[in-house]
Amino acid sequence: MDNRPSRHCLVRIRSSRCEPPGQRRLPKRRIGGARVRIGLLTEGGYPYVGGEAVLWCDRLVRGLAQHEFDVYALSHSEHQEAEGWVPLPPQVGRVRTASLWDHEDDGVAYGRRARRRFAECYGELAAALCTGAPGDPAGAAEDGSTLQADRFAYALYGLADLARDEGGLTTALRSETAVRALERACRTPGAHRAAREARVPDLLTVAARLEHALRPLSLDWYEDDGLGAVDLCHAASGGPAALPGLLAQHFCDVPLLVTEYGVRLRTHYLTEPDSPPAIRSLLAAFHGRLAAETYRHASVITPGNAHARRWQERCGAERAKLRTVHPGMDAAPFAEAGEAPEYADPQTLVWVGRIEPAKDLVSLLHAFAEIRRAEPGARLRIVGAPSGPEGAAYLAHCKGLAAQLFPDEADGPHAVGRNPVSFEEIGGPELPSRADAYTAGAVVVLSSVVEGFPSGLVEAMFCGRATVSTDVGAVVEAIGGTGLVVPPRNPRALAEACVALLRDPERRERLGAAARARALELFTVEQNVTAFHGIYLEILLRTPVRRVLLDDTGEPLPFAAPAEAHVPGRWSDPARVAARSGPGWATDTPARTTDARATPARTATADTMRAGTGNAGTVSADTATAGASTAGASTAGGAKVRGGTERGGTELRATERAATARVTAPVSVTEGAAR
Amino acid sequence: MSGLGELDRPETPRSPGAWDERSRKSLTDRAPGPGDAAAPSSGDGGAARGGAQPPSTVRRAAADPVKALMHRHRDLCERAVDPLEIAAGLEAHGVTDRTAARFRHRDVFSLAEEMYARIPRDGDAPPRPTEPSAPRAARAAWIVLAPLPGVLCAAAVAGLRLTEGRPRLIAAAVGALAVALALRAVLRRGPLRAAARTSGTWTCWLVGYALLGDGLLHTALTGGPDALPDGTAGGPWPVAAAPVVALALSCVPAAVGAHLFTTRARRRLTSSRGLADFSASVRPLLLGVFALYTGALAVLLALTGAVLGEPAAYPQALTLGALLLLARLLTVHGHAHAATLVLTAAAAAEATALATVFAGRLPGCGFLAAPVEALVAVCGPAGVPTAACGVGALTLLAHATRRLTRASAHAHAHGQARVTASRPR
Repeated sequence: MDNRPSRHCLVRIRSSRCEPPGQRRLPKRRIGGARVRIGLLTEGGYPYVGGEAVLWCDRLVRGLAQHEFDVYALSHSEHQEAEGWVPLPPQVGRVRTASLWDHEDDGVAYGRRARRRFAECYGELAAALCTGAPGDPAGAAEDGSTLQADRFAYALYGLADLARDEGGLTTALRSETAVRALERACRTPGAHRAAREARVPDLLTVAARLEHALRPLSLDWYEDDGLGAVDLCHAASGGPAALPGLLAQHFCDVPLLVTEYGVRLRTHYLTEPDSPPAIRSLLAAFHGRLAAETYRHASVITPGNAHARRWQERCGAERAKLRTVHPGMDAAPFAEAGEAPEYADPQTLVWVGRIEPAKDLVSLLHAFAEIRRAEPGARLRIVGAPSGPEGAAYLAHCKGLAAQLFPDEADGPHAVGRNPVSFEEIGGPELPSRADAYTAGAVVVLSSVVEGFPSGLVEAMFCGRATVSTDVGAVVEAIGGTGLVVPPRNPRALAEACVALLRDPERRERLGAAARARALELFTVEQNVTAFHGIYLEILLRTPVRRVLLDDTGEPLPFAAPAEAHVPGRWSDPARVAARSGPGWATDTPARTTDARATPARTATADTMRAGTGNAGTVSADTATAGASTAGASTAGGAKVRGGTERGGTELRATERAATARVTAPVSVTEGAAR
Repeated sequence: MSGLGELDRPETPRSPGAWDERSRKSLTDRAPGPGDAAAPSSGDGGAARGGAQPPSTVRRAAADPVKALMHRHRDLCERAVDPLEIAAGLEAHGVTDRTAARFRHRDVFSLAEEMYARIPRDGDAPPRPTEPSAPRAARAAWIVLAPLPGVLCAAAVAGLRLTEGRPRLIAAAVGALAVALALRAVLRRGPLRAAARTSGTWTCWLVGYALLGDGLLHTALTGGPDALPDGTAGGPWPVAAAPVVALALSCVPAAVGAHLFTTRARRRLTSSRGLADFSASVRPLLLGVFALYTGALAVLLALTGAVLGEPAAYPQALTLGALLLLARLLTVHGHAHAATLVLTAAAAAEATALATVFAGRLPGCGFLAAPVEALVAVCGPAGVPTAACGVGALTLLAHATRRLTRASAHAHAHGQARVTASRPR
């Protein structure tokens, strides 16, 4: 094995005293730059052009150039595959794709034993979907619900094992055995009301949809050179994209991070309104249970906003695992606008967005009529393009309403009049960019009745505008206290808020500055990338080394899996790998101090090898534990000690990193006072 | 104040509007007293606790706001299969936790749970799904294509009869090619279309044996063949054109039968309640289609035999036709494996029969030809293909009655019909 100090990427090694002080230099290495190999799991997303969340994934991958990404992508359609990939940065080591749209039959017919295994697993799956209250895994504390969740997990991993051992799962999932198991489960006395009414076509459709959803089970990604080789899986969305992550954890003990900007289960409910109730019920149960299972096994779940967070909690996610990471938006186009002094017309209101009925422009026009009564000089600029034919019709309707409500006005008897409400689009000579649109007015208004994460509002915040918005979606969460919020569908309240801001330039300025500061703090790409960087390292800190290397005599090799083991590619002699049931340091009794040389074997297993969040000699308290106490540490060789409290903060556990142990100076750990 | 006695009697309000009006009047008219507490307690208990608010708002809120909300979202409530679906729908309509607070709920989820619990559950069955009809253009295409192989085959036979020498050879080659292409076109679209690849080689071999095999076997047993076939039934190596023409023409009944089977089965699929029901109703359908085809093929054989002046060769042609139809039906419905296996076995049996006859001519190997000679002695040369194809057809029939009566065999057609109906070409 290679013990050259040059391989130590993480530890400062003090230079010896024989050098003159002026020449003494610390080796300049990237401290805290543990290189993590991340398996990015996407569904209909990242490497494909025009997929979902491509921009976010691209920014994440480009922002974390010190790590390595393996992209595992599931594609939605042939069209998507034909469109090709976005340009990939060099840190993307490999891309493996699988299609969810074409079904290829691997022609494996099961023998009797495999058939029985399949029937048993699928029967359990069907029973878990049909019985109990589907879509209500929140009551996980109840015995029945836990039982169903366990049944679902048993069936899921049973099918995955079967697919790995025998193959041919695709055929089996569409076979008569599967349909029969579904029918039996639906006719069971305890079945859900909607499921009891399932007819044969419904059963067939459900079987086909389940086969479709379970297709990741048949993939060959869960080998040691596939997802087994990554340090952590990052699922870019819930649902099918998280399924490979679950299986990677099942087969290879890879920790899983799930990011959901829109909750998959909710999307399922909203996109399936027309199917028969039996199909909707069974599929909703499947998605609900899959979500619960994903949340149960994920190390960390990062919802994009409080709304997604509420859904995740509702679906059974533990609060301790949830970290809200707001979506990052590029602040650069708005920097100039945000820093420039206000030069806009102080009587102008601006609305920016895509024009569709959910934006409730009618309410905005009514509110503007009230505003005009209070402030006769006010103007309203509606900036945006209609989305789709529905949006176009809505735009025409709004234009007609505006013409009815507000007659054209002229400055004098010889001037050409104009309407106080103008409909414009970005890209014209007056408003070349979005930043110009926001800065064109004194107040930015948002009048939606339905909204997810209000990106337009955040852009307005970047521009340092005072905003008045309706209380929908994640608006309150985004705006905080830096803008005015009124109830939706309440033109009078909207008008009052706008008038208040129009009449008070100082307040406008104050709110705008606060909004810009808030947006720069919370909604930039950098914070998003940094948050994920921290979460990656946090997960790795809590994840033990997954394998123990053995030497020729079968003894565990100390330090055989150092930090460099995460450098991709093999650099040291191959050694035998033995699976280990759990983290050594977790099962060992906590020791007050540990001498690295005294217990080399244990140190090797205890070595988490992802040294890296802080500088040498610092202490990182495990956030999963109570975190109430910290341990001070002074180490001779730049050792790092991770202190954490267990069970009330009485025991201090010090875990050395192997890099520390390799430093020949004796390691001594002084115990910090547990506060 | 005369109505106060009636008002204070605790009872469920008969209609919220009238009760609201009277109680509001009484509350505004009268000073708060013991009767005040009694009146609201008969209605919404939650509303009564908001005592600090002015009475009018208390009474307005008491009129069961959730019921009004349910009325507004009644479509959503009627089709919801669980509370989360209502929650998702409500959120899509702009209901937030702050809105839910007005309905005295902590969040949208608990509001949705109340709404879900209050949906009136009458036992009306859901509307039966409508039957998607196949697009007209595709139907027209296969109706035009289905007779094509038969027509081309008849033309090719006519060409063989009318020509001599080298033109006859050319006519035979062109005819075979044209028939093969037409057959391919028929099998590529319409009811005989299959997703899986099929073994064309063995099918060609079986049809080729029907054309030449009996003659070859006959001549081989009598010491021949001394010359190549000349395309006539009376030559040294007789060619049986009539069964082949009949088989080519039988593409029409085969396509019609397959279409009938698919559409009827799909209709039964939508109407049947259980898998067992479905199997029981499809089995007679399958046997009926099989009988229809066999009967049509028999008629065609008689016709072609009469027109071409050849013996009709019923047994071998009927068994071969049955074998091919069943193999195709199984392939169309996703069981290509068994079909391929049986076709291969039948072709191999015929080939073996021929090979043993020729191998029996080798010195000391006469015993090899004995079984075939015995069979031919009993049944004539037709015995070999009849036995091979008959056993194969029976096997496939047994297999088909088990496999094609399952609902999963029609799942693909079911999904496909929905796809093509939603996206017509």
